[in-house]
Amino acid sequence: MFKAIVSASTLRDALDSVSVLVDECKLRLEEDELAIRAVDPANVGMVDLALEAAAFESYEADGGVIGVNLNRLEDIVGMANSGDLVQLELDEETRKLHIQIEELSYTLALIDPDSIREEPDIPDLDLPAEIVLEGAQIGRGITAADMVSDHIRLRVDTDAEAFFIEAEGDTDDVDLKLERDDLIDLQSGPADSLFSLDYLKDMNKAIPSDAEVRVELGEEFPVKLHYEFGEGMGQVTYMLAPRIQSD
Amino acid sequence: MGNADLRSLAAIADVSFDDVSGVVAVDAHNWLYRYLTTTVKFTSDRVYTTAGGDEVANLVGIVQGLPKFFEHGLTPVFVFDGGVTELKDAEVSERRARREKAEERRQAAEERGDAVEAARLEARTQRLTSVIHETSRGLLDRLDVPIVEAPAEGEAQCAYMNRVGDVDYSGSEDYDTLLFGGPYTLRQLTSSGDPELMDLNATLDEHDITYEQLVDIGMLCGTDFNEGVPGIGPKTALKEVKEHGDLFGVLDARDAHIDFADRIRELFFDPPTTDDYDVDTDLSPDVDAARAYVTDEWEVPAGEVDRGFDRIEEALTQTGLDDWT
Repeated sequence: MFKAIVSASTLRDALDSVSVLVDECKLRLEEDELAIRAVDPANVGMVDLALEAAAFESYEADGGVIGVNLNRLEDIVGMANSGDLVQLELDEETRKLHIQIEELSYTLALIDPDSIREEPDIPDLDLPAEIVLEGAQIGRGITAADMVSDHIRLRVDTDAEAFFIEAEGDTDDVDLKLERDDLIDLQSGPADSLFSLDYLKDMNKAIPSDAEVRVELGEEFPVKLHYEFGEGMGQVTYMLAPRIQSD
Repeated sequence: MGNADLRSLAAIADVSFDDVSGVVAVDAHNWLYRYLTTTVKFTSDRVYTTAGGDEVANLVGIVQGLPKFFEHGLTPVFVFDGGVTELKDAEVSERRARREKAEERRQAAEERGDAVEAARLEARTQRLTSVIHETSRGLLDRLDVPIVEAPAEGEAQCAYMNRVGDVDYSGSEDYDTLLFGGPYTLRQLTSSGDPELMDLNATLDEHDITYEQLVDIGMLCGTDFNEGVPGIGPKTALKEVKEHGDLFGVLDARDAHIDFADRIRELFFDPPTTDDYDVDTDLSPDVDAARAYVTDEWEVPAGEVDRGFDRIEEALTQTGLDDWT
């Protein structure tokens, strides 16, 4: 059983954060939240999302799992105006999802959850550094890095008490230094890892520029990016595996 | 060769690269040969010929072929053939004769000015020279890709390593890994699309036969080591082996004969293989050294291999989240 009403913008934010990594996913319809966990086919990027029941206008679910084509669902929800509400109802008989937006109704065929890539185990990470900053600040670093390279280096300088976003191109370099005062918070620790911009660019697209982003970082370890949406009732954690630093 | 015959009996499924992962023991000769023929066919010979006249089309081929493994989370182990098994002499001399014939036709085509036909035939005459052997190993070494020297048949060694569980698949375009008892064989690793997975146990279950009976069926149809019995195709062989129990039952009933049948059977059941290998799949390639080896030492224009090396580098430097679970 699943029946819910949610604002189009909240639902859109949730779907966007997952669709940057995968085309289809499982929705876990828990009693107290809607949850999604997915990893891209190359096992490099993972998203772990929870949207609390309180984020919905109304929410009833009993722990079922459904599989959806995210692009299709995004397209439908994209039909809504920003203030619209979206009604979702699972037809247990036909295994289809009824979606109602104002006078528009859509019946979405679901995907067999067993045919979708298994939900990944969450890596067990103990990351020494934590940086809290605005989405816009990370976005700026990523956009600049993308002008010169395919990779981006994130590191914390424990002496300078600063967070660095760096990229080294064949001819040009980019450096963004954010000192403690520029950040919302900094828990300094040894951290220096290199990441693929392909992934980070996509993740960045989903991160609202005014969101508070918590970055957990280590030395040649995956990075965790955590932010909230839907007035704090939706949580997203991205995890991204590093590249091996050659020199 | 009984390839078409074996194919009609083998349980083969199309799989997606996303569904396969692990280590694959690749029959190096078989794999290289495919890349040599396509490289030679589609690339100007100036690209792969050094000033000294050595042809190293294999280097272009290897750089083209390797990214596919790494991008899909497969680690290749290249298994090189050792000496030719004595019984296979007939096959080798037949191949040599075919090659010589193709060479004559190639020269004729060249004289006629038929460039396409000449190139096609040239591919067929291509053989693994000592330079190709040396440079293939040299390049794989620099990329830290494991190499295994088989005592005899590469396919037998691949199948053996798969059977004892040291690798997850054999990789070959032929079907003999099945007769050598290889549980899983990935085919079409050199094609552009998805691979095929050939499953030994599924093959046996499908026809309700034992592995030994499968070898007997193969021998009745003909293998690399023996001519088949005239008039017997895979369907008949299957039916008669089930009816008479084994190869010798069928031969008796038909009053037919296969030279060295006993020895050939043993060769499939217990081929020369070695345990003298080390499959270290934690690769630390030196891509820069590999590039220098191909472009400086062996004079292949960088433009021919840049893209392939970039793909190899990209695939091998990106870690996966599963490394931390």
